[in-house]
Order: sequence, then structure tokens, then C-alpha cells
Amino acid sequence: MAQELKVGVRHSAAVTVLDLHGDVTMFAESELTRAYHQAIDDGARALVLNFAGTDYINSAGIAIIISLLTEARTGAVTLVICGLSTHYQKIFRMVGLTQYAEVYDTEDLAVQELKNRGIGESAPV
Amino acid sequence: MSSGKQVIHLHIPSELGFEKVAMGAARSVAQKMGFSNDRILDLQTAIAEACTNAIEHGNRLNSAQRVEVVMTVEENALAVDVHDRGRDAQFTEPQIYDHHNHRGMGMYIIKQLVDEVQWSAQPQGGQVRMVIYLEPDAGDSTSPRPQGESGL
Repeated sequence: MAQELKVGVRHSAAVTVLDLHGDVTMFAESELTRAYHQAIDDGARALVLNFAGTDYINSAGIAIIISLLTEARTGAVTLVICGLSTHYQKIFRMVGLTQYAEVYDTEDLAVQELKNRGIGESAPV
Repeated sequence: MSSGKQVIHLHIPSELGFEKVAMGAARSVAQKMGFSNDRILDLQTAIAEACTNAIEHGNRLNSAQRVEVVMTVEENALAVDVHDRGRDAQFTEPQIYDHHNHRGMGMYIIKQLVDEVQWSAQPQGGQVRMVIYLEPDAGDSTSPRPQGESGL
């Protein structure tokens, strides 16, 4: 019934993009953590969490995202969010998640903003 | 949809993921009643949180127990009751959402998204009742709903 989350890791310019496909619920933790650490181990310091392939996020999933954002902040990694529907952008604001990460409508906007700020230039290409 | 009260009962297994069945049913009913897509998304998210809570904390993932979802269609409102069989349900009010450790986030989300909500502990288990009202003149809005204190 639940659509298991799969996370793809790819590079766009000097930024690493994590593409989320499936449900972001309590079952998403190991896959999200795996993908994040894969990117970090590969040298990424600027990441975009792309939710364009996700249409169901619940509070347990949001708590996992917040944990990831907290870990990124501790490790001086810039992590931003894109691809959320208007509804989930509202939910993320509601629970204060936007205190932890900037949210952009599209991947292009997120990547461009990181490039403009010179973030992620040492990331793998 | 015909006038007068109509009631739809669903029984879903206490297995995470089946909350989507309730979300889908609620979408069908709310669409038929004329709710905007934004309001339907709000209701679906609230139902998902209520069902997930009932599955995990009420029925403790016991597959032998079901979560009952009752949708009551009224002239200008849709009420959704979610019942679990947790005998030790004690709360009657949602926990205050703590932004630091994220406890109570699901209940906080429900309160923000529906017009009225009430939690109660029944002899047979826990129950949450959520209500959204039709607003014929209101367009889609991305703003959170006003805090819905129960008037039930």
C-alpha cells in the first residue's frame, strides 16, 4: 500500500541533487540517510532535496527531513528544498521546517541560487 | 449529492500505508460535495495523520484490529471520525507541538488544517472527530486554516 521511497543521487552543475521518489514517511529514514551520506562521502557540500517525485509526506517523514537538515547544519553542509507542491510548502511552513532550510519552487531555481552564492563549487561534477 | 445526512464507514487494517485508502475515499466524498482542491488536500493530510496515529499508537500496529473511519456528509459540512481500539487512550487534548523535538506534530497539523477537531477517549478506544465546512464563496487558499477549536 505504501510507496517505498527511493532516492537518486545526481549532480547538476556544482550541486548534488537528491531526487525523492515515493512516500516520505517513517519508512523513508534509512533510504534518505543512505543517499545523504553517499553524497557527503563523495564530497558534496551543497545539496538539493528534490520532492518533485513525491506526493505523500506525513509528520513522521517531516521529522526525518528535519533531522537530516539538522545534521547538515552541524556538518556545514548547505541543504535546500525544491519540488514541493503548494500544499506541502504550506505544511512545511506550518511546522517550522522552513527555519531549517530554504524552499524553492523548482530545481533550477534552487541550483541557480546556490551557484549565485558560490556554494557547492567544490562538489563533484 | 442528495440532501440529508449520509454516512460512509471504512475499516482499514492497522498497517501503515492503509491510511491512503481513507485519504482516497475522503477525496471522492469531498469532491462530490464541492470542496475546493486545497480544502480536500487539507482534509486528506489531516485524515492521514489521524489514521497513522490510530494505527501506530491506538492499535499498536496490531493487524487483528481495525481502524474505523466514519465520514458523515451533512448539508454544509463533512465530518470524519477516526476510531481505534486502544484501551489505554487517555488524551482528550492534543499535545502542544514542541518545535524542538517535534512531538505532537501530527496533532498540530490536524488542528491547523480542519475547522473543528476533538479528541476523546471512548470506552472502546480513542477517537478523533474532524469537521470541515463548505464555504461556497471561498476560493482556493494556501493560507493555514484558523485554529479549529472544537464546538462539538
